[in-house]
Amino acid sequence: MDEYVIEAQNLTKKFGDFLAVDDLNLKIKKGEVFGFLGPNGAGKTTSINMMVGLLKPTDGNILINNEDIGSVEKGKIGICPQQLVLWENLTCKETLMLMGDMYEVPKSELKKRVDKLLDDLILTEKENTLVSNLSGGMKRRMNLAMALVHNPEIVVLDEPSEGLDPQSRRVLWNYITSLRDEQGKTVILTTHLMDEADKLSNRIAIIDHGKLLHLDTPENLKKVIGEGDIVEIQLSNKEINSEIVKAIESMDEIENVAELDGKISIKALNAINKLPKIMESIEKTDSTVVDMSIRQNTLEDVFIHLTGTSLRE
Amino acid sequence: MKFFSIAKKDLKELLRDRRGLFFILLFPMFFMLIFGFAFGGMGQDNQPHNIAIINYDNGAILPGTGEHVNFGNNLTNQLKDAKYEESNVHIFNITKTTESKASSLMYHRDIDLELIIPSGFSQSIIDLKSMSQSGSITSLTTVNSSNKNTKSTLIIRGDTSYINFGTSQSILTSILAKMGNNIQGTTGAQVQDFIKTKIEGIGTKNLTTFDYMAPGIIVFAILMLAINVATILTREVENGTLNRLKLSKMTAFDFLFGGLLPWSLVVVAQVLILFAVALAIGFNYNGGLNSIILAVIVGVIGGIASISLGMIIAAFAKNPPQASQLGTLIAVPTSFIIGAFIQLPQVVLGNVMGQQFQIYDILPWTHVLTALRGVLTFGYGWNGIAYDVGWAVVLTVIIFAIGVFLFSRTRLSPENE
Repeated sequence: MDEYVIEAQNLTKKFGDFLAVDDLNLKIKKGEVFGFLGPNGAGKTTSINMMVGLLKPTDGNILINNEDIGSVEKGKIGICPQQLVLWENLTCKETLMLMGDMYEVPKSELKKRVDKLLDDLILTEKENTLVSNLSGGMKRRMNLAMALVHNPEIVVLDEPSEGLDPQSRRVLWNYITSLRDEQGKTVILTTHLMDEADKLSNRIAIIDHGKLLHLDTPENLKKVIGEGDIVEIQLSNKEINSEIVKAIESMDEIENVAELDGKISIKALNAINKLPKIMESIEKTDSTVVDMSIRQNTLEDVFIHLTGTSLRE
Repeated sequence: MKFFSIAKKDLKELLRDRRGLFFILLFPMFFMLIFGFAFGGMGQDNQPHNIAIINYDNGAILPGTGEHVNFGNNLTNQLKDAKYEESNVHIFNITKTTESKASSLMYHRDIDLELIIPSGFSQSIIDLKSMSQSGSITSLTTVNSSNKNTKSTLIIRGDTSYINFGTSQSILTSILAKMGNNIQGTTGAQVQDFIKTKIEGIGTKNLTTFDYMAPGIIVFAILMLAINVATILTREVENGTLNRLKLSKMTAFDFLFGGLLPWSLVVVAQVLILFAVALAIGFNYNGGLNSIILAVIVGVIGGIASISLGMIIAAFAKNPPQASQLGTLIAVPTSFIIGAFIQLPQVVLGNVMGQQFQIYDILPWTHVLTALRGVLTFGYGWNGIAYDVGWAVVLTVIIFAIGVFLFSRTRLSPENE
């Protein structure tokens, strides 16, 4: 039987008349990386702030290990916020020692932990450098280190890869994986990077307008919009896109066709075999194909399918 | 027309920060209320002025009748009975007392000034009357001179920078002059040749207005610390670092007491700088090095109270600009309320340990200011200011406790929005 470390029960948050989180129910398993996806303003950060005890819910409960969050001993959760939350005039080591003290980590243990964290996050050389003098990537890693110094059971990472270069992102991803696989921690990860969520998460929740839309493993989520390939075609004359969409819709074994960002996006099993027919319908018009690609179904397709293409915030 | 776009942007920002706008608009209102309260008498034009009379007059024998008279007592009674024109309100509230008690009353600003009637006052009056009647003047330059004309000096003593002293002193001087003219009659000697009036500052040294005002200026500067503390604490909120700490096992006491310690060092430095600058520009005070040391200790207590006030402000302000506005809104009027520059009308709540306890005494800075005046202006030692220092410490602890409670409730609990 699965052991749940966090449970959100009918979680609701209103800001005046605005309903930010609408009756959210979630169970997060111990030792998993739980991806939390949603467009900007979907209610991710609000939900997380309630789950870690920073924000009071308008309604509903948060249970940590079956205990109400209000009575849970502090220190079970470590949060790495979306924005950099650092003391610019402390050194890396001073910052981590301070945070450890605040969580009452014994001095001897704390020193070891700080050294290990600095080493794991490749910050040892900068241990005596003022945070204000770190590069953007180093500050991101410090932001994470501050969430971990007290060895929390649950780690909340709110868009941790924001602004990181590919090298730093790789360091971070490896570290997140090690948090789960080697240290047995539960990680809640919010991100806008679908490949990040796909690669790291055991399960993913997609929310929008404060409501949970889908919760499953990345593999199962991709099946939500059916298995198969995605064909994207860009025509010389975009004005006839809708005409072509209608023509393709009437074909057999086409699961989905839509116009996305000026391109025609077709989802179908064994799409290559469908291509001659599709090209035939295009040739009937005056337009020609400017660009065409075939790729496998991704989490981003699922995300767009569930949350739509309209801009948020 | 870029300036117009900037103006529109600024106006929108101003109007949309409603809390900030509220503080900005409230500030002049507070000022007007305080000044109105201080100078307007809140609808009452004529108020009795509190003065103390120390009567050393021995009395004298009236020539001719042989009657023993005491014109010092007469003067006291006349001042006591004096009323505003076309009014039943007495001009003075008279306290007949000794010099040491009067000094204590003045230290607590329970009186505006003390009038000291000298021992030979009655004899001077008799000599003046005799001279007026005879129409000739003998030697007037020495007291109890060989030709037996007695010259007396009425001393009006007080804190010459104190606005109430100025008011009471000018009323008293004009009444005394009027009384003198009545004695003088139609012919004879000039009153000032027999009875002089001398205005004396407090203490042994000749102090300037700046010297008298210095304690108020020091307390004002110390109060401004509250704004800095509130702004810096609110920055922790805005930067999100407080949220990190909030999730830890840190308590409001840890956070605020931890903050109090380094800020106390800042206070020590600030108070030392204040005194150093004041002394460098010629600040005179009564007492020696010990007085300065005592004043620094008192100043530090006031500074700690200001830090605690900053913590209370930080419990309500959402960002540094709001903290700055709210801090100014509170700290500046407080400096007026405690009497750093002007004295508000007396509002006595009762008596504590034989001392009047006024509504302003619920603020520690009132006691800090009184104690600083005691040390620097009156030249008091520890014993003279112990009562006020005691109150300042107790009230500072209370303000700090309120700061911890409010900060814990508003900043370290889960937020509502």
